[in-house]
Amino acid sequence: MKKLFILMGVMVMSLAISAQTTLKGVILDEETGQPVIGATVTLANQDIATTTNQAGEFAFLYLEAMDEELVIESDGYNPMIELVSLKKDQSTQLNPISLQPDLSARHQQEVVLNLAEQEMNDDEGLSQDQNASLSSSTDIFNSLTSFAWSSARYRNRGYNNDDEVTYIEGLNFNSAERGQFNFSAMGGVNDASRYKESVNPLEATNFTFGGIGKATNYLMGASHYAHGWKVGAAGTNRNYKAAVRASYSSGPLANGWTFMGQLAFRFGPYTGAKGQIGEGVDYYSMGYFFSAEKVWGTRHRLSLITFGSPTHRGQSGAVTQEVYNLTNVYNYNKYGCSWGYNNYNPYWGYQNGKMRNSRIVKSFDPTIVASYNFKIDENQQLHAALGMHHSWYSNSAIQFYNAVDPRPDYYRNLPSFMWDGQLDKSGAYIQKDLNDKSLGQGFYNYYGEYVGPSVDAHSYNELYNLWTSRDDATTQIDWDALYAANYANNAINPNGCAKYIQERRHNDISEISATANYQNTQFDHLKMTAGVELKQSVGSHYKTIDDLLGGNQWIDIDPFAERDIKELASNIGLTQAQIELVKQNDINNPYKVIRDNERFGYDYKLLMSNAKLWYQNEWTWHDIDLYYAIEATYSSMQRTSSMLNGRAYYLSMLHESMAEYYLGHNGFQILGGERYNKYIGWAHHFIDPGFKAGFNYKINGRNHIKFNALAMTQAPMARDAYWSPRVHDRVITTIYTHDRAKNLTDYFAASEKIVGGDLTYEFTYPIVRGRITGFYTRFWNGTELNGYYDDEARTFVNQAMTGIDRRHCGIEAALSVKLGTYFTLSGAASVGDYSYTDNAFVVTTAENGMALGETKSGAVFELVDRVLIKGLKVANGPQLNSSLKLSFFHPKMWFADVTISYFDWNWLDYAPARRMESLYTGTCYDSEGNQVSINGGYYKIYTSRDVSIDARELDAEGNVVTDQYGTPKLIAPYNILADQESIVSSKIWNRFLIDCSFGKLIYFKDRTSLSINLSVNNITNNTDFKTGGYQQARLPRSTRQGYTEGNSTINSNVWKFPAKYYYAWGTNMYFNVQYKF
Amino acid sequence: MMKKTSLFYLFLVTMLAGMLTACNSEPQEKDLFFSEEEVAKLTADGQLYTINEFLDAYMTEKGHFVHNNLYRTRAIYAVSGMDTLYLFSIDTIPTDGPGIYIRGRVTTDDYGGNFYKSMVIQQVVGGEQQALRISMDAGNVNGLYPRGQEMLIRCNGLSIGRYANQPQLCVPSYNNNVYAQNAEQKVGWAPGRIPIARFKKAVKRIGLPDESKLVYEEITDPTVYTSHVNHSDVIAARKWDGRLVRIKGVHFTGEYSSNGTRTACSAYSSSASTSGDPEKDGNANVFGPTTLGVGYPQGRVIATDGDVPFIVSTSEYAKYAHYYLPSKISTDVKTFDYTAYSGDVVGILGFYQDNGTSAVKYGLSWDDWSVTPCRITDIQMEDETGAAWVPVEFSKSYFK
Repeated sequence: MKKLFILMGVMVMSLAISAQTTLKGVILDEETGQPVIGATVTLANQDIATTTNQAGEFAFLYLEAMDEELVIESDGYNPMIELVSLKKDQSTQLNPISLQPDLSARHQQEVVLNLAEQEMNDDEGLSQDQNASLSSSTDIFNSLTSFAWSSARYRNRGYNNDDEVTYIEGLNFNSAERGQFNFSAMGGVNDASRYKESVNPLEATNFTFGGIGKATNYLMGASHYAHGWKVGAAGTNRNYKAAVRASYSSGPLANGWTFMGQLAFRFGPYTGAKGQIGEGVDYYSMGYFFSAEKVWGTRHRLSLITFGSPTHRGQSGAVTQEVYNLTNVYNYNKYGCSWGYNNYNPYWGYQNGKMRNSRIVKSFDPTIVASYNFKIDENQQLHAALGMHHSWYSNSAIQFYNAVDPRPDYYRNLPSFMWDGQLDKSGAYIQKDLNDKSLGQGFYNYYGEYVGPSVDAHSYNELYNLWTSRDDATTQIDWDALYAANYANNAINPNGCAKYIQERRHNDISEISATANYQNTQFDHLKMTAGVELKQSVGSHYKTIDDLLGGNQWIDIDPFAERDIKELASNIGLTQAQIELVKQNDINNPYKVIRDNERFGYDYKLLMSNAKLWYQNEWTWHDIDLYYAIEATYSSMQRTSSMLNGRAYYLSMLHESMAEYYLGHNGFQILGGERYNKYIGWAHHFIDPGFKAGFNYKINGRNHIKFNALAMTQAPMARDAYWSPRVHDRVITTIYTHDRAKNLTDYFAASEKIVGGDLTYEFTYPIVRGRITGFYTRFWNGTELNGYYDDEARTFVNQAMTGIDRRHCGIEAALSVKLGTYFTLSGAASVGDYSYTDNAFVVTTAENGMALGETKSGAVFELVDRVLIKGLKVANGPQLNSSLKLSFFHPKMWFADVTISYFDWNWLDYAPARRMESLYTGTCYDSEGNQVSINGGYYKIYTSRDVSIDARELDAEGNVVTDQYGTPKLIAPYNILADQESIVSSKIWNRFLIDCSFGKLIYFKDRTSLSINLSVNNITNNTDFKTGGYQQARLPRSTRQGYTEGNSTINSNVWKFPAKYYYAWGTNMYFNVQYKF
Repeated sequence: MMKKTSLFYLFLVTMLAGMLTACNSEPQEKDLFFSEEEVAKLTADGQLYTINEFLDAYMTEKGHFVHNNLYRTRAIYAVSGMDTLYLFSIDTIPTDGPGIYIRGRVTTDDYGGNFYKSMVIQQVVGGEQQALRISMDAGNVNGLYPRGQEMLIRCNGLSIGRYANQPQLCVPSYNNNVYAQNAEQKVGWAPGRIPIARFKKAVKRIGLPDESKLVYEEITDPTVYTSHVNHSDVIAARKWDGRLVRIKGVHFTGEYSSNGTRTACSAYSSSASTSGDPEKDGNANVFGPTTLGVGYPQGRVIATDGDVPFIVSTSEYAKYAHYYLPSKISTDVKTFDYTAYSGDVVGILGFYQDNGTSAVKYGLSWDDWSVTPCRITDIQMEDETGAAWVPVEFSKSYFK
């Protein structure tokens, strides 16, 4: 009887199966004939989707019989729609479907990668915005914007780089210290970044909890790559000039292994051309990428991956508009329109007649990843990965000691400095002296600019002409003069400190990370994913000498401390012996002589641990998909130092109650003569939770509505946690509060809180597809550390900002319409408002411990203030972006496209030092809350010794007029001291950028192929397009005589320290040829 | 296989070529420091003047600098009836035409902070020292041109002028320091700093620097200078300005001078009084206490055994500004025995005539003359046992 039931059951099941309506097929790469793994295959009408397996196969069961549209999408391929007719109770086996590679997107991705890499200028906190929108092309918005908007430094939803997470084979590769991914690690080896899964912000991911920004997981297993050789060469007029690369993939071997390797070399010698893109920059990079994959049966897959890209590249820097104008003066036509380039680069100069750049980045990020996939059964899958990564990253710079500032664009070297002090309160040149006598007529310089009568025309024009003629020694670094200074110093002071050296500032990071990810689909409609991520990081910061520039040696003391020693001594009454110690960068090695590769200046490590547990449930039903995910992240940071800095020692005496936070656990013992190898700081621990959820409501197979939301907290990055990590161990106040938390509020005092959501409508039809998304995100309690030279204190100060609140809201939309067989017209737009919603707090300290103010009870060393940033815009690229793209694609593998983009609503980053509340009110506070008087140091502009103008706008009753956010308004022209500047061109046509690309793929009879691509960006050569920059922190001040306190005042030359800008490149191209065999 | 091997070599060769071109060779000393033969060649297009010849040829009393057809030198300082005598003047030097050269060896060092954006060069002609101040717009300029460096200067296009009656190589600059005391009377055209780019263009280094070649004028009786206080003396004395001198056999008196009156400096007290605190009291018994933001050098009196006084001038921005004047300091830091140390003071001789609003006050008094040391080691003193003076910096900790 039992057997009968079994037999009946089998028969019923067989009937049921045989009666199913099913669809099966296989997706192949048209170029290589290899299976496409992980392609998304969707039946549009029935709204069912699946992904292809390792063999490129897919299958649908239990379908409704109807005419269907099969939509196939895969990263790196053009999306494809096939019409299929599903017959009731029949199994349909499709012929192999060939996906056409999206050669344009692949080509463009290389260009974007190059752009992202070159912007890693993180030295001295002056990083240019980095665009890392290397997104999946399966999302219509991302595919349209990632390339076209990269030139304008578009940032997805205006987020910071560290809001986006980058994974490799499931391992987190965002730097624990800097927060962002270093794209130069994959420089040149374009195959390494070819395959990836990208997830839009807030959506469910399979590899991590994610964050508020996009999540990308690079898949580098060898089986992704088609068998055969590829060799290629590229030419460009960007930072590097040419590239060659070769790769080989074995394809699956009989023993289950697959091997893949790629080598690439990119190079760009100094061009010698002033005014051209990449002026004064040289570039050499060698990249490698090797991947081996072993498959055991159908359940086990092991990948071993290594890649790296030792790179040497010169950098270019932002300069003021005056410098751009001076160096571009001959590129103006008679109507005053610039037709040349804003490519001046202050970082290079001639040495012995040859170009030399002073800012050379050397980077090498060798990475090893082992990734293991275990398909436990049909419903369970385990992925585990282990990665090791060491990043050698360093940047060089000229350091000088008791010598003339070697920067050619230093403000005192510019013609404008000659009229410093010659402007009246309205900013016009003075015409009369204080005795009311006329100064006569002014003059017009070569360029036709009026210069007032109080400037000596002859001297001005001599300097002006040196600049406009681009005199080598004036407008570039005068290397020969630096050598001469050192040779001379050797002659009279052979044991003294060199005048100039080229130092190398290292920021190396070692990371070991591990991840495990378990997926379970045993319950109908439910996919459960759980993961754990572990990472241990050590960031090493130190300096070495690149080149003594002919000097005999460098002596390791701090020049600022040396200069200000008399004040330091007066403050707390140091003895002579103690004063000698304060100057030292390493108390244990006073006056250390540096001649070779020894470390000097500072040598500290940041030890960072991260552990993340996350869990996610995803339900999939016919009409709706739901998901939620939770996470808990543990992170810690601790600073250790191999040097005991003299200023830390000084500050420990100055703030006796806080001494251990300057000297660390064992600092006193070291001072006491006990020997320790390390000076160990305090460890700081954080636990941060996160939750996100969302749904996808399927109106039908073509129309979807998605909603996602997230709430999480995030510990501060180590880079923002320490007041002055080069000197001491003291952390910012909010972390100090966190460390001593007595309640939950205190515990989360340091963490940033993030809440966000987005709502998307998405549609896909054979002719037209698109999506529109509205998003709203709030950030509370962000942290940022800034450092700058303070004119009033005449020393380097650090500003720790906390309580930074932001709002990012906006709409992003994209639409693509097929115009007949060959053409597609696409459009994309992103309109947002990314702004600060409240004022922030700031604590300002001098790095060498100098007093910054005074109360009745004594000197003040920590100024507590607010930064009035409420209503200011977040300077993360344009907030209005739009583009229209016309694409041509011929089945015989011709393609071309032209994109016209418009950008607007773009603001310069503000300088906190210019928005301090005390500048508006004249008072701030010390750390105990005592009012500190800073007489004359605020926006009261002194036009003579005792005559001042209140720069604040006053109403008829004499009350201060504020803007809608409560910040006092400043009257013109003083408003430029504090106002946030728009960097959008005043001419509307200069807000457009036009790009185009062309390509052809030629197949030969033996299945070999040749692809040729050319992209030309900014074809109208728009050189009036600013991409970013920064407001200088320094305020114009003058000494006000006869006052002991606040003896400097802001003077009326509000143009003295103008903003510095970056400009988009003019017309630039990238040409690539690749032969595949 | 051959194809693959070729590709490999292509990589290697290209890499090596790239790396090699990235290297820069060091400049040679001979290309940066000129020999006498090269100086001769350089000056062949014009005339090489001695400093005094140069001053005689190009510096006038009133100054020829004309701006907008108006003289703008500061006549307020002219003595009534003597309008050919000015404390401030500017004479431009022809830009075109034959080269106008001078040469000299740098005698100053701005490391100590007592010289700022200026230097003095020395030329020894016929055993006599000639000197000229140069004003340029760069701090730490001795980093480029250290003490002992001989230099050749092509003066074409620059100016020679007098600032407070001190001759200096300069460019015309309009003083619009509205923050200055008595600003209404001080604004106007005056010698200004040469932009450093322009200065570097004008200067060639002659040989490597050699401090041993500097000549010091040894003085045992300061009245050699301080007796020259009338108008005609001042004109003659301009050529003494900037000389490198060694004043021998003097000690600090613990005094400052106000309009010629010697007054004892104040010492710090641990009581509530701030008297003697160099950050608040310009009369404190240190080299360069505060000027309350004005910025002029502070004078401290030295005297010979015969009590002939002279002034040692120190900027409040000097690194040693807050060092106590040489003295035996009691252990409780309440008494200072200034006679305990005596010896030499080395520095740059000068006078400074920029004295307020009075047109009558035009001559020099003894305390308008001063010597400005470059660094603390220029104060070379010892006690009666022969023990060298050890500088001690002011510190409030002594008074706890």
